[in-house]
Amino acid sequence: MKRLLLAGAILLAGMGVAKAKTIHILMETVPDTRYIQQLLPEFKKETGIDVDIEAISYIDMHSKLVPQLIAPQGSYDVIVVDFYWVGEFTKAGWLMPLDDLVKRDNIDLGRYVPKLLDLVGHVDGVTYMLPFYNYSMAVIYRKDLIADPANQAAFKEKYGMELRVPQTWDEYKKQVDFFTRDTNGDGKKDFFGTVIQGQRGDCISMQWANYLYANGGEYHDKNWNPEMDSPQAVQAMKDYRMHMLNNSPPGSESYCFDEAFNVMAQGKAYSFVTFNILYAGLDDPKSSQVVGKCGITPNPGGGLNGGWGWAIPKSSPDKDAAWKFIKWVESYPIAKKRALLGGAPTQTKIFTDPDVVAKRPYYPTLQKILEGVKDFPVFTYTTEFVEETGRELNLAATGQKEIGQAMKDANEAFRKLAIKDGKLKE
Amino acid sequence: MAGGSARSARPRRSATIRRLERLARHVVPHVILIAFSAAIVLPLVWVLRVALTDKLTAYKIPPEWVTPRLDNFVAIFTEYPFGTYFLNSTVVAVSATLIALPLAAGLGYAFARYNTGGMALRLFVLSSQMLPPVVLVLPLFAMFLMAGLINTWAALIFAHLTINIPFLAWILVAFFQGDVAILEQAARIDGATRLQAFVRITLPVAAPGILAAGILAFILSWNEFLFALILSGPQTNTLPVGLASMQSHRGVEIALLSAGTLVAILPVFALLPFMRRYLIKGLSLGALK
Repeated sequence: MKRLLLAGAILLAGMGVAKAKTIHILMETVPDTRYIQQLLPEFKKETGIDVDIEAISYIDMHSKLVPQLIAPQGSYDVIVVDFYWVGEFTKAGWLMPLDDLVKRDNIDLGRYVPKLLDLVGHVDGVTYMLPFYNYSMAVIYRKDLIADPANQAAFKEKYGMELRVPQTWDEYKKQVDFFTRDTNGDGKKDFFGTVIQGQRGDCISMQWANYLYANGGEYHDKNWNPEMDSPQAVQAMKDYRMHMLNNSPPGSESYCFDEAFNVMAQGKAYSFVTFNILYAGLDDPKSSQVVGKCGITPNPGGGLNGGWGWAIPKSSPDKDAAWKFIKWVESYPIAKKRALLGGAPTQTKIFTDPDVVAKRPYYPTLQKILEGVKDFPVFTYTTEFVEETGRELNLAATGQKEIGQAMKDANEAFRKLAIKDGKLKE
Repeated sequence: MAGGSARSARPRRSATIRRLERLARHVVPHVILIAFSAAIVLPLVWVLRVALTDKLTAYKIPPEWVTPRLDNFVAIFTEYPFGTYFLNSTVVAVSATLIALPLAAGLGYAFARYNTGGMALRLFVLSSQMLPPVVLVLPLFAMFLMAGLINTWAALIFAHLTINIPFLAWILVAFFQGDVAILEQAARIDGATRLQAFVRITLPVAAPGILAAGILAFILSWNEFLFALILSGPQTNTLPVGLASMQSHRGVEIALLSAGTLVAILPVFALLPFMRRYLIKGLSLGALK
C-alpha cells in the first residue's frame, strides 16, 4: 500500500503538480562523468536542484535509453547522446530543439569547436545538443623512441629521411615498418610498429576510417554517393591489411581499443591510431608502464571525429531544470574545472586557457587534432552501417575476402542504407 | 626349491599388480576430476589474482607477481556504489524467491494433483519463458512507467516473479507427482484433511526439492541482467548492471571488475553447502527410500 501511494506520488510529481527538486541524468561510466559528479555540490548551491547521475556501460546505454525516449514521459531529464545515435534520435523526434532556449539565454554557440558543433550540436540547421566531450582519433606514439639518436641514425640510413613526429602518411608507414622488431632474437616479432584493432563492427570501422582519410578517401560525396570502393579506399584497406599482417601483434583481428591500449601501455608498440581520450591512461602509472614516454599528434590526412552532446529528451519530466543544468555544466568556469580534472573539452578557449595548459600541456595539440578531424557518416542507420561495412572491412583485413570485392560489397551496403534513409535517390 | 620360489613370486607379482590397479583406480579418476575442476576453478583463481593487482600488472605477459593489495575492494565500495548494488540484488533476489516459492508450490501442487487446466494451462504458464526476455521487458516497462514503479524494488521483484513462478512451478510439479501422493492418501485415510495432508505430509517430504528449487530461483534472480537494466534506476541497480558498467569507452576497468565479480559471487558461494545437501537430495527424490 505504501509503495502504491509512493507510486502515485511519483506520478503526480511527474505530472508537474509538484516542482521536482531532483533531476535524473543517464551517462556513461567514463572519467568525464565522475568529474561532473564531483562538481555537483556547486550546482546544488546555485540552484537548489539535486542531480542524480546514473552511470552505466556504453553498450547498455542504447537499450536503456530507447524505451525511456519512446514513453510520453520518461525518468531522465537530461541525456547524453553519442554521435552514433544523433541521426536516429533526431529523426525519431525524441530530442527537444534547443534554439529558443539558446536564443533566450544568449548562449554563444561560437564558443564550441565548429567540427564538434556540427557533429553533436546541429542537425539540419536545428540545435538539438550542446557538445559535452570529444573523443576524436589521433596517432599516439612513443616520443622517447623518436628522440633516441641510435634510432634516428638507423632510420636515416634505411629511408633517407629524418625520424620525427610523423607529418605525412607515408612517413608514418615507414616508421611503423621501422619499429616493428624482434628484440630478443628468437625469430619472432615482439615489438610492434602499430596496433590494429580489427574486431568486426565498431572497432575496425573507427580505426579504418583514419586510414581512409590518410589516403585521401571519403565515405561519400556531397550528395551521399558512396565512395567506399574508390582507389583511395582500396589503398587504405591495403595499408590496413599490411599493418595487421606485419606490424601488429598476433590476434589483432579480434582486438578492440582496450586490447590495443594494453599493448601500448605494456610498452610493446611504437604507436597506434586511437581515441585521444586514451592518452591520459598512458600517463597513469596504475595502468601504464610508458608514463611520460608518449606523444599525441593528428592523424596525417585527418582523424575521425567523435563526441557526445547534452540533450533534453521530449520525454523529460522537468525540461526547465534540465536546461538549467546544461547551462551550468557548459558554463566557462565549470567546463574549465572539468578540463582541469582531466575532462575532454569542447570549447575552443579551454584548450588554450593558461591554467589548463599548465596542468595538461598537450591540450593545445588536442585542439589542433580537432581542427583537422573528419566526420563519420551520421544518418538514421549509422548503427547498421557500422555493422554491415564493419563486417566487410574485417573480412578484407583478415584476407577472407579479396580487398576489391569487400570494398565493393561495403559500398553497396552503404548505398542501400543511404537510399533507405532518403539521403540518396535510387 | 625352484618351484617354491616360482610359487612365492607369483603372488608377489599379483600383489604388485593389485596395488597398481588400486592406485590406478584412485589416481585416474582423480586426474580426470582435477583436470575438470581446474577448468572451472582456474578462471576464478585468475579473477582473484587480478582483483588483488592493478590494471597494469593484470595484463603483464609473462604474469608478474606483486604484493597483493586490497585497493580494488575498497574502491568498489567507495568510488562505485557497490554497497547499494549489493543491497538491491539481495532484496530483489530474496523477495522474488520468497514470494514465488509458496505461489509456485500451490500452482505445482494443483497441476500435479488435480491436473488444473490440463496440459494447455501448463504450457501457457511456461509460454512466458519461451519468449526472449526482451519481448517481455518493453510491455513491462510501459506498465511500470504508468504505475510509477520504474526505479523501485517492486518493479524488479514483479519482473523476476514472471521468471521465477513458471520456472519453480514446473520444477515442483515433478516433486508433487512422485510417491508422495501415496503418503498423502495414507494420511487422508487416517483422517487428515486435504490441507493437513498438504502441510503435514507433502510439504515436509518435498522440502528438499522446494529448497533446491528455491536456491536455483535465487541464483536466476541474482544473475538476471536485462530486466534489471531496463527497469531499474540509480537507486535500484543490481550487481549485474553495476558490473557491466565497469566496461567503458575508456576501456575495461579489469581490476575493479574482478573485485566486483568476486563480491557478487560470494552469496552464491555461501549457498553452496546447502546446495550440495538439498540439490542432490532434491534431485534424487528419495521420499520413500
